[in-house]
Amino acid sequence: MSNNDFYIGWMPKAPGSFARHTKKVIIALLILAVTVGVLLATAQKKFSTGQFEFGRLTNITGVYFKEPVPAIKVMSGKDLLGRASYITIPLIGYGKFGAGGIILDLEKEKHLDLVKKEITLKGTLLYNDGKLLMQIDAADDPLVSVNKAAGENILPLQKELGEQTILGEIVDPKCFFGVMKPGEGKPHKDCAIRCISGGIPPVLKVINNEGEANYYLLMGAQGEKMNQAVKEFVAAPVAVKAKVVKYDDWVILYVTDKKSISPVSARQLIKPGSQTIGCIAPCLK
Amino acid sequence: MGVSYLAVGWNRQKKIYDWFIFAFCVLYLSTFIAITAISNPDYTFETALIRSTATLAILLLHVILSIGPLTRINKKFLPLLYNRRHLGVTMFTIALIHGSFSILQFHALGNVNPFVSLFTANTQYNSVSKFPFQALGFFALVIFFLMAITSHDFWLHTLSPKIWKTLHLFVYLAYFLVIMHVMLGVVQYETNPVLFVMVLAGAAALITLHLVAGTREVRKDNQLFKLKSEGFVYVCESRDVPDNCAKIFCIDKERIALFRFEDKLYAIHNVCKHQGGPLGEGQIIDGCITCPWHGYQYLPQNGQSPLPFKEKVNTYHVKVAGSQVWLNPQPLPEGTERPGAAIIIPDNQIIENVK
Ligand code: HEM
Ligand code: HEM
Ligand code: FES
Repeated sequence: MSNNDFYIGWMPKAPGSFARHTKKVIIALLILAVTVGVLLATAQKKFSTGQFEFGRLTNITGVYFKEPVPAIKVMSGKDLLGRASYITIPLIGYGKFGAGGIILDLEKEKHLDLVKKEITLKGTLLYNDGKLLMQIDAADDPLVSVNKAAGENILPLQKELGEQTILGEIVDPKCFFGVMKPGEGKPHKDCAIRCISGGIPPVLKVINNEGEANYYLLMGAQGEKMNQAVKEFVAAPVAVKAKVVKYDDWVILYVTDKKSISPVSARQLIKPGSQTIGCIAPCLK
Repeated sequence: MGVSYLAVGWNRQKKIYDWFIFAFCVLYLSTFIAITAISNPDYTFETALIRSTATLAILLLHVILSIGPLTRINKKFLPLLYNRRHLGVTMFTIALIHGSFSILQFHALGNVNPFVSLFTANTQYNSVSKFPFQALGFFALVIFFLMAITSHDFWLHTLSPKIWKTLHLFVYLAYFLVIMHVMLGVVQYETNPVLFVMVLAGAAALITLHLVAGTREVRKDNQLFKLKSEGFVYVCESRDVPDNCAKIFCIDKERIALFRFEDKLYAIHNVCKHQGGPLGEGQIIDGCITCPWHGYQYLPQNGQSPLPFKEKVNTYHVKVAGSQVWLNPQPLPEGTERPGAAIIIPDNQIIENVK
């Protein structure tokens, strides 16, 4: 080894052979950076089309219901057959909380019972796949006005669809329908558990044989909250045995108890032609 | 170590190194985010940020972990080893951005403290596929943090190089935690196997590099020295040692560097007091044995760093008999002065040199 072929980092210049080699390594590493970046970025699963209108507040007028989940039912005119059409917009709170607390605070503050009253709420919309939800945040003064008590015609249409076993994944609707991508699956598991623990109603996401998705609200047999009970099943494939009730434009699964939910393998969930996968109610698009 | 070490602060090479690290990171992040945005108009920036920093950190980790064995296989990689700490600190910073944003996104604004949530949201520690993978990332980040804050030479001296080096070996534990963090995390969700395959390929490449470098080292270490007399071992012919350079021998587990300086032979311990660099791969510059890694210097005649520095390494007795060089592997106390063994230059060599 000759003197000028010896490398010491504190010398201002590396010897020629070292400099040439290092230059090659640097170019190789920069090419590596671009290649890895392109490969990993393109390999990501498609992001969902969900939208969260962050920073944009919308006023919505409809009838408030506390059960089965806090929601407002908005009449949107008549459909093609002349029937009244409507959309039920479940309400959720700020951050990883349900809307129950905020509504309760508003009722206390105004000395009012809001149930079945027509109200105007100001909040942030989030939506995907035919489902619309609204975030209400105490900081936004969400209760714009309380109009009047709604008539009996507003009561929900219920139709029992019998007991069924349904395969799907339990998600928290806030993240799933817009706030986060992915808002489902393993990477999002912790967050979904946090949201559901915070009172956001758990939803079972079901894909039928045609690849269409439908979303069912999970409730206890008597309509009680399942938030704590479903925690350990969130964000993984499960089979849910439940009494199925079509409830206006949502479907509710009344689950007898925790034992009616059981983990299944991911393969079962996507197996085509599986008997238990189904879109019981029309898949709204 | 040499006076010149302190005189040089942020020299040209360091600047190039840091600019390169910066360019590498910017190039990677912008590629990842741009491709994500183009192929997914519905992407969210938070996710792009969390994922681009995550994958950049693991990419840098692979680069960092391959530099060690690469320099052992080919010295030309030395410029990358020097200031590898800057790469380490950069990697930690990038991983910190990833970890902080993940904690914010997935655990903040909930009904418990985000750090409690990190460990208690998902409690399925007894399951493989449902394992709380974020906790693994957290522990890896803690290890990188400890390495980053102890990275300055101050800590190296305070902790002693041995403890410091042991601390650095935890990087392999952290690496394993990161691999599991990915495998039990996002790999459980993605349907495209690219990330999975790349992580496996990266691990395979690292293991291969370490094995190749390791077996070379072991082969050198296991070289047998049979000819012994009075504690001295025959090691080589005097002409085998190039001027101002050394040959390294491992005798009875002692790593010894045999230097030739002004036609005399001197043996000192091969391990640099700074971070254990291989002194025998260094050279004699201005009369000082100079470590190839960061340039600490030692005098051949006593193994001491020139004043005002205080580093000292063990020295050894050397004997020259005819053309043969004999070494005594019994170390003398650090900094012991002993005369160099003059090389007996054969007449024909002298004649050749004159020609
Ligand atoms: C506090 C510490 C950490 C937390 C909370 C954390 C959290 C997460 C989360 C939630 C994901 C899934 C993101 C998604 O794709 O939606 C993820 C992915 C990942 N993390 Fe971490 N992480 C931490 C530390 C680390 C460290 C130290 C590294 C490595 C240097 C790392 C490397 C990765 C990689 C490579 C991925 C996969 C990238 C991808 O999502 O495509 N993480 N991490
Ligand atoms: C954060 C501050 C860091 C500093 C200042 C630093 C610096 C160094 C230096 C100078 C050495 C001694 C040379 C050697 O033994 O090879 C070393 C050893 C090592 N460093 Fe670091 N490093 C840092 C962080 C990291 C990180 C984050 C990693 C990996 C992610 C890493 C990986 C290693 C490994 C594997 C070794 C020992 C293996 C070997 O000898 O090749 N270091 N570090
Ligand atoms: S100078 Fe750093 S290891 Fe020798």
